[in-house]
Amino acid sequence: MTGSENDHRALGDKVAQLKTETGIDLTISAPALNALIPKTGQELAASQSAFELVNYLGFLTTGYLSNGSFEQLNKYKDDPAETPPDWDFSDFATANLNNVGIFDPTTKTLGKGTNLYGIPGLHSGSVVYFYRKDLFDAAGLQPAKTWDDFKAAAKALNKPGQVAGCSFIGANDFSLATVSWYTTFLTTGGVLLTGSPATKDFKPNLNSPEAVGALQMLIDLLPYAPTNVTSYGFPENVDAFSSGKIAQMVFWSTIAGPVYNPATSKVATMTGVTPVPAAPGQTSQAILGGWGVGIPANADPTKKAAAWRALTWMTSKSFNNYEELQYQIDPSRNSTYNDPTLIAKLPYLPISGAANAGAHTIETSILADFFGMNASMNVEFNKALIGAQDAKTACANVQTLWEASLRKAGVLV
Amino acid sequence: MVSRNTRDVLLLLGPCLIYLFAFSVFPLLYSLRLSFTDLGIAKDSGHWVGFDNYVAVFNDPFFWNAARTTAVMVGSAVVLQVVLGVGLALFFNQRLRGSWLVRGALILPMLLTPIVVGVMWRAMLNPDWGIVNWAIGRLGLPPINWLGSTDWAIRTLVIADTWQWTPFVFLVVYARLQALPEHVFEAVQVDGAGRWATFRYITLPLLAPAIAFAAIFRAIDAFRSFDLVYGLTYGGPARTTTTLSFLTYQTGFDFQQYGYSAAIAYVMVVVLIVLSTVTLRFVRLRGQEGA
Repeated sequence: MTGSENDHRALGDKVAQLKTETGIDLTISAPALNALIPKTGQELAASQSAFELVNYLGFLTTGYLSNGSFEQLNKYKDDPAETPPDWDFSDFATANLNNVGIFDPTTKTLGKGTNLYGIPGLHSGSVVYFYRKDLFDAAGLQPAKTWDDFKAAAKALNKPGQVAGCSFIGANDFSLATVSWYTTFLTTGGVLLTGSPATKDFKPNLNSPEAVGALQMLIDLLPYAPTNVTSYGFPENVDAFSSGKIAQMVFWSTIAGPVYNPATSKVATMTGVTPVPAAPGQTSQAILGGWGVGIPANADPTKKAAAWRALTWMTSKSFNNYEELQYQIDPSRNSTYNDPTLIAKLPYLPISGAANAGAHTIETSILADFFGMNASMNVEFNKALIGAQDAKTACANVQTLWEASLRKAGVLV
Repeated sequence: MVSRNTRDVLLLLGPCLIYLFAFSVFPLLYSLRLSFTDLGIAKDSGHWVGFDNYVAVFNDPFFWNAARTTAVMVGSAVVLQVVLGVGLALFFNQRLRGSWLVRGALILPMLLTPIVVGVMWRAMLNPDWGIVNWAIGRLGLPPINWLGSTDWAIRTLVIADTWQWTPFVFLVVYARLQALPEHVFEAVQVDGAGRWATFRYITLPLLAPAIAFAAIFRAIDAFRSFDLVYGLTYGGPARTTTTLSFLTYQTGFDFQQYGYSAAIAYVMVVVLIVLSTVTLRFVRLRGQEGA
């Protein structure tokens, strides 16, 4: 079972090859994200999972691994009889391994120890800055390095009815908070939560100047964004950028990758990519996305060895490269980000690779209420963007809601 | 000893009873039990919390927001659908030539699943390339942000629901109209009553049970409205279209607070039972008065 973010298409393309090479019959189920999450929860809680392999969102790793929902994989990985010799484990990006695979069950900490529960895949990725080289060149501008540059370029390049100076996720959408706001917040020195769940002082900083400033920047960019940006999610942004109507945007590299597909994009040869802007003195980084794939602990025991074999097959270098080349979805292997043949066709790969390696795992992903907290943030921020409240009020509301959630979870006293 | 008659009855009813218990009674009781627990994604969840979830529901501003949205949506949609449905039924009752074709086409929206209607309307109302704004533009009017503005989103939901379900009201009322005794109208004509008086004092009272049935059925259905919200607005923007059903879904499945979600669902069940019982009683009383 995998998400419907094109991994299922790549798997579908290759399922016959998998059968030929390994003798394994693979049946793919790919619900949309909203259906996948509850479905995964139900499967993992059942007496026996109907799926031998489950692709899960990195944001939910702690929840699943704390539950003991996935099989520990060390015994398979370390057994040469079970693992193909060319399946290079050290090639997986460390950030992705720490985000979705390595977990210390004693302290419930991600990225600590050597216990392996999931393999990065089927895709990973972070957030990068896409810009139109032709428009920037014509205006004599350089791609933005700071948020002030970004805003100045948005203003300079905005041509109402033709090209919007910039765009972002403005809809009441998961990525309004995690991409549009969080990236700005992080790169202007914001710290989302201080303290720790263990000491029960896990406190949000949503009323900090950085938090309000990051939201205010989105509000300030509205005049230079598409008219309906407050209802823009993934497809609206990617379609508008691909059709040449957006000059620059900060976006998930893996979602916006198709702007480099000449078959569907008018700007495939005119698009540049750099790391996301940052305030002076701050480092460019963004939230870490990506998925992990694991074997449910409650999967049919007689099929677990075959599941591992299929898992290594679909997280192999060749499959990673195929996914990237065919669907422009970001890999979880360093070698794919740095493959010269792929880079020649998809020049953004090294930048995406660097962003992925330095990306930041959002602090709330260790909480069971991750999606609820994210949703309350999206609602309040979207409300500010549509003019129903100001940035300060929106952030204060989220602060109140988050504090309540954290208290309820027992991590803030 | 069980008599043969009883055995036969049990044999015949048995499969139905098993089905009912497995797919209705058991889930109902199980979810009722869930509503008294803190079951969530965490492994150590699922403890008995008594009425905590219910207390939290009534103190939850998002619940009240969803209740208000549901009331606005149900009220507006049902009134609109009844007015349009009755109007259409009266219009098509005139036996106009070729009206059978239009009547047939009229019920097509009802045949679609609400999720398809939601997605279809979402595409048609896309602010950048949707056909509706294109048509509005051709008339020289400014585009409307149908799904992205707090003012329009709930109206859009009502419009889409009305588009789909007005045919239901039309069908029910039209069927009743067709079955009305003609001699009553002939007698009224002989008495010299005008069209308005005939409608006001004869047609409308005779149609009342059908209208009440359609309105109650639609109100209950709209109260549970979920798939349309899911496909069209996903509860946004700024929670302006988050209905109680959608809140229940979102709390349970997006946020994985299963116990709390079950409590919201049970509050909905109680509200629905009370509302439909009161309405049915009211209609029955009115019927007796009319008689």
